[in-house]
Amino acid sequence: MKVLYNVLTEFVDIKAAPADLASRLSLAGVAIDSVEDSAAGPVLDAEVTANRPDCLGHYGIAREVAAVYRMQLKPVQPKLKEVADNAADATRVEIESPDVCRRFTARILRGVKVQPSPDWLRERLEAMGQKSINNVVDVTNYVMFELGQPLHAYDFDKLNERRIAVRRARPGEKLCTLDGAERTLTRDMCVIADATRAIGIGGVMGGTDTEISFSSHNILLEAAWFDPIYVRRTAKALGLRTEASYRFERGADPEMAELASRRAAELIQQVAGGELLSGVVDVYPSREPEKKIQLARKEILRVMGADIPDRGVEEILSALGFHPTRVDANRGSDGSLAAVWECKQVSWRRDVTRGIDLIEEVARHYGYDKFPPRLPPAKKPAHRLPHAEAQDRLVERAIALGYHEIVEIPIADTQRDALFREEGIQPAVIGNPLAEDASIMRSSGIVSMVRAIEWNLNHGNRDLRLFEFGKRYELRDGAPVESAVLTLGATGLAREKTIYETAREFGFAELKGALDQIGELAGGLEWQAGGPPWLSAARSAHFSAKNKGEQLGVAGQLSRRLAEQLKLRQEVYLAELKLEPLYTCIEATRAALRFVPWPRYPAVERDFSLVLADGVTFAQVEQTIRALAIAEIQSIEAADLFRGGQIPAGKYSLMIRVKFQSSQGTLTDSQLAEFSSRTVTALEQKLDATLRAS
Amino acid sequence: MTTSDPTAQTLEQLGVKTLEAVGEKFAELRQRFDDQSSLHFSNRENWQVFLVKWTGRKSGVLSQITNNWLKMASPELKPVVGQELNKLKAHVESIIAERQRAIEAASEQSAAARDKIDLSLPGIERSFGTRHLIRQTFEELQQIFIAIGFSVVQGPEIETPYYNFEALNIPEHHPARDNMDTFYIEGVRNSHLLRTHTSPMQIRTMEKEKPPVRIVVPGKVYRRDNPDATHGYMFHQIEGLAVDTDITFCDFKGTVEYFAREFLGPKTKTRLRPSYFPFTEPSAEVDATCHVCGGKGCRVCKFSGWIELFGAGMVNPAVYGFVKYDPERLSGFAFGMGVDRLAMMKYGVTEVPLLFQNDLRFLRQFP
Ligand SMILES: [Zn+2]
Repeated sequence: MKVLYNVLTEFVDIKAAPADLASRLSLAGVAIDSVEDSAAGPVLDAEVTANRPDCLGHYGIAREVAAVYRMQLKPVQPKLKEVADNAADATRVEIESPDVCRRFTARILRGVKVQPSPDWLRERLEAMGQKSINNVVDVTNYVMFELGQPLHAYDFDKLNERRIAVRRARPGEKLCTLDGAERTLTRDMCVIADATRAIGIGGVMGGTDTEISFSSHNILLEAAWFDPIYVRRTAKALGLRTEASYRFERGADPEMAELASRRAAELIQQVAGGELLSGVVDVYPSREPEKKIQLARKEILRVMGADIPDRGVEEILSALGFHPTRVDANRGSDGSLAAVWECKQVSWRRDVTRGIDLIEEVARHYGYDKFPPRLPPAKKPAHRLPHAEAQDRLVERAIALGYHEIVEIPIADTQRDALFREEGIQPAVIGNPLAEDASIMRSSGIVSMVRAIEWNLNHGNRDLRLFEFGKRYELRDGAPVESAVLTLGATGLAREKTIYETAREFGFAELKGALDQIGELAGGLEWQAGGPPWLSAARSAHFSAKNKGEQLGVAGQLSRRLAEQLKLRQEVYLAELKLEPLYTCIEATRAALRFVPWPRYPAVERDFSLVLADGVTFAQVEQTIRALAIAEIQSIEAADLFRGGQIPAGKYSLMIRVKFQSSQGTLTDSQLAEFSSRTVTALEQKLDATLRAS
Repeated sequence: MTTSDPTAQTLEQLGVKTLEAVGEKFAELRQRFDDQSSLHFSNRENWQVFLVKWTGRKSGVLSQITNNWLKMASPELKPVVGQELNKLKAHVESIIAERQRAIEAASEQSAAARDKIDLSLPGIERSFGTRHLIRQTFEELQQIFIAIGFSVVQGPEIETPYYNFEALNIPEHHPARDNMDTFYIEGVRNSHLLRTHTSPMQIRTMEKEKPPVRIVVPGKVYRRDNPDATHGYMFHQIEGLAVDTDITFCDFKGTVEYFAREFLGPKTKTRLRPSYFPFTEPSAEVDATCHVCGGKGCRVCKFSGWIELFGAGMVNPAVYGFVKYDPERLSGFAFGMGVDRLAMMKYGVTEVPLLFQNDLRFLRQFP
């Protein structure tokens, strides 16, 4: 809210300069964002929190200023010149919806001269951010900004039967509001009506039929109180937020209505002349009884951890209008630990109803800076997230393997998400998305990984290795389920050409190697061919933890069809791992780690160059050798592989390297010869392999 | 060995009988040595042959002279031959040593030129990944709080209105909901939404655990705002909550000051400005002295010397009612930090979208 320094000075004798005032107010809870000059003097831009409707008027801010500087707030005392005729004889007000409208006051002015506002009024309104309309409307707006109470002026002559009814709108009832829009009203809405029709929407906006124009002479001035929830709902339903609705929905002061009406009448007489009928029609069916709140010193100490002297407590609460009185047995004894103050609940602070609310009031004006800082000692050991260690290991691996971590927004395009969704998954769809391309909680990490790769390729970053720790979202039996996933994505060169090394394209073997190195943490992976449909049929696989059987994830090359559809012009490799089972495997593997002594006798390597038919796998070779159950075999590795040259079509050459080692002694030549010949014979017989001279 | 080689014969056979003649013979040899040493010096192989020829143990010139001239010399010539031989030996050795040094120096020089590393060329680098800036920041924030006894917990992003709003003292139609425009999930029983803050975990934790409670909650949160340079519709928060029988506003202040010093540097000062959040009371905005100018005022802090860190406050007793905590016995504080904002501020990242585009050029800047 725009706060005019010069208006504040009418309510409190400020000595401080605007800049000082601004910083003191900010530190007391009324944040002042800026101080600027205007034709009406310095303007402070106050950011008023939702609990402080009282500060949506200058008078409320002035009360804060009074508390900041421990000064008196001056009362608002309008001086009225009333004629003998009674307002009550001229009009009648009925509240048919007291649940929504708890108070309605009407004053009548006769023979006013509607004209442009005088300069002071126009300048002040403009500095407050309000356009000047005419002197009568300007006064209602001005008093709203001054006292925080929304007001409305009707052309009294246009009111059928010159009376007011506050009632529910009739179904389908229409009203043209001051902004020029024709509105169709509903039963939930409360209207101000005359004998026959709606003339305004209660707490939100008046209608054009009865608005004040330069030809108006007699006016009815409304100052009322509307229920915050009702106003909020109505304004929302109409898509119509006004200065009035803004104040009512935060909770206006019902006690202020009549005073604000008086103040407005005073100003209208001042700027538009006319006669004010005597008295006010004030329908106030359910005035709230006065309540008390107690504030105990021991509560201040318990919550704040340090004391506030009696004088501070009393001065602050008095300045804010709470009328504190000591009611404890020790009253009269300053600083007593047993001190209890009884305070009046005030109508302009609907948020202050409990002792803690008063503590906040006192503390913020006493100064948050006066409370000494203390670091509370911990009583329990702190712990990280349950799988933090396992995640650390995974992150280390991924980074060491050259993968960069990404963080994605897990809201995806619905159609895109469907491309990578596992069968049978019910996605979590956003009911009120901001945009079509951000309308679903992703059902895989892959959809985001593909987005990141796409972004990078479109921005000239061709060689990528990325990973993300995130979640995928779905509904199961109507309940949301979030599962943690690790996603990998890679494309372009795995190794760039340098003066020392040649370049190498990223291929499936790179991905498999990375996953095996990650999988080592979980005790190793077991691979099976085949994967989801978004992966290439020839280059896709799924894998589980070795000897545990639990499926951990899928990996492969993005299918050609999707790559084309997404306009990705290079091979893209993707993998997704389920983190919960992976963490469990990593933790179990880690817990089982024990030192294994290495054999004391030397190992011997033997290479076998085999020619095999296409389709015979390395795994078959390995199994065939393992089946011989030669205990001295330490490892079997693929050392070289090629096709073409002297190798006939339909076959390929595979060199395997077998390492023999005994824990009993050094292997003799005859032992080795025997192992070799058994190996060769088995491969020849079982796999139709031939041995190449190497 | 040719017979013309004078050293293969005795002096007598050479017809040397006088002292003068001995001197002449040695002078000749010396001249020959000098000539050959200059001649063969430039060629490595020839030089080796030359060395063997003169100093070889069996048939080198010096050995020959010792055997044929000195040992066979007549008694009257022997002393002179001995003297001359020693002189010649000394000369040969000194010249050879000198030449040898020169040769070694030369070969070292050429080897040095050939082997010398070019330090301006790169080494062989293995490509190495990076952690995302947001995750680095989360890690740092968690460590700061773990060190003072806050445990890390996590909660669901798809929440119920109860945990996201009601139990945090934000009933329906509360104006505070204005700042928390919400995404809803379609077709979920009891209606679900994307949490607008990490605060629901305050409730979930207190429901489950007895005090003392001390937690931080990292995670993603969502607000239905149109994205721009300073806002996205998803951002990261870290929530904090401490509840016990003896937690006061002073503890809250101490914790906040500790955090600011740890995160922004030991000289950082903080101040609390009263504010409003439905689930804390008293509430505060926490400001820290600007980490760029130290409080003097600069562009980053808009010349105020202060930067806004986060919102916080003492837990509103109304919240305890939702989790069956006794508000008359317990007190505590809570805070909620925007992690993206903190990271951007600390590392000078100018626009929110940069954080989530995941452009390699961005990722690489924070190894
Ligand atoms: Zn600065």
